[in-house]
Amino acid sequence: MKRTPFTFFASLFAALLLPALFLISGCEAEQPRTDAEMIDGDGIHIEGTWARPASEGRMSAAYFLITNFEEEPDTLLSVESDVARLVEIHESFEREEGMMGMREIPQLQIPAQSTVRLEQGGLHIMLIQVTRTLADGDTFELTLNFAGHGEKTIEIPVRL
Amino acid sequence: MNRSIFLTILTLSFLLTALTGCGPERLDDYSDVRFELTDQNGESVIFPDDFRGAPLVVGFIYTHCPDICSFITANVGKVYEELDNPGDTRFALVTFDPERDTPEVLKKYADAFDMDREPFSFLTGDPETIQAFMERVSLRSQESFSRDLDDGERVYFLNHSDKILLIDQNSRLVFDYGGSMTPINIILEDLKKL
Repeated sequence: MKRTPFTFFASLFAALLLPALFLISGCEAEQPRTDAEMIDGDGIHIEGTWARPASEGRMSAAYFLITNFEEEPDTLLSVESDVARLVEIHESFEREEGMMGMREIPQLQIPAQSTVRLEQGGLHIMLIQVTRTLADGDTFELTLNFAGHGEKTIEIPVRL
Repeated sequence: MNRSIFLTILTLSFLLTALTGCGPERLDDYSDVRFELTDQNGESVIFPDDFRGAPLVVGFIYTHCPDICSFITANVGKVYEELDNPGDTRFALVTFDPERDTPEVLKKYADAFDMDREPFSFLTGDPETIQAFMERVSLRSQESFSRDLDDGERVYFLNHSDKILLIDQNSRLVFDYGGSMTPINIILEDLKKL
């Protein structure tokens, strides 16, 4: 085939850009929401903790940021607390136009040098049937079990 | 008739017509429906008749929902807190899970959000009425998954529409918002137009 400027650029496009586009779209579908921007530190760092109020026997959700300063990924395996009968990692998502669903995330990967956000309308720690009323201003403890960094117990303030 | 008076009346008529035309279009009219509901205090509430005459901000929730519905509830509360002049504007949260969300349950839920007070109403009803109400406002819900607790109790969760409605003084639907996603200031601006 005769090489013209058009065929040259078409080949370049196919060779470089199309695989890149597939790679980008594939990454967006599978990776947790993370922040690339990092501050100095080491290990696993938790910040911005809070949870919604809930009456006894009902549900609440806890939110925070998990930053992994290490060069290896880590995994949040489970979460425990005596404030609820069941504690699970969940994610809210839009199933279709205006219809919201929720699904369990069995294990949450925390990529190296990244922050994963647990926030309203997305990833959250689901507290099923809280054992006492959680009112604005209360606090409770959550224990996070990481594959690499072991147990980390954090304090969660309740606020509106 | 004096010519200046005639011209004044004519001008006012034009202005009134123009102002009416500038208001937001109505998406639906609920003035022809009647749903008998119960609030968190066990009092009977007729929708929309008992809200007629004042704007109404209404969200749809179920109390076993930890994330999206708490967001909707807090948003309705924030609209009230941030309104410069709430006047007689009313605020309601209606459950689409009436089997579990009794008035007593709704009262505790409202209290946890510091909303068990005027001008907030947390509403439930018999399942048939709630189903008809939800169909009328195009609120969809369906069971998604469940968990069995250690004592054998089964707890189920729902997929559902994410919705806050703004209804005007004449029971007409003015705006239909994504309940947890809509910035509060948009609802505040829309309320000012009523």
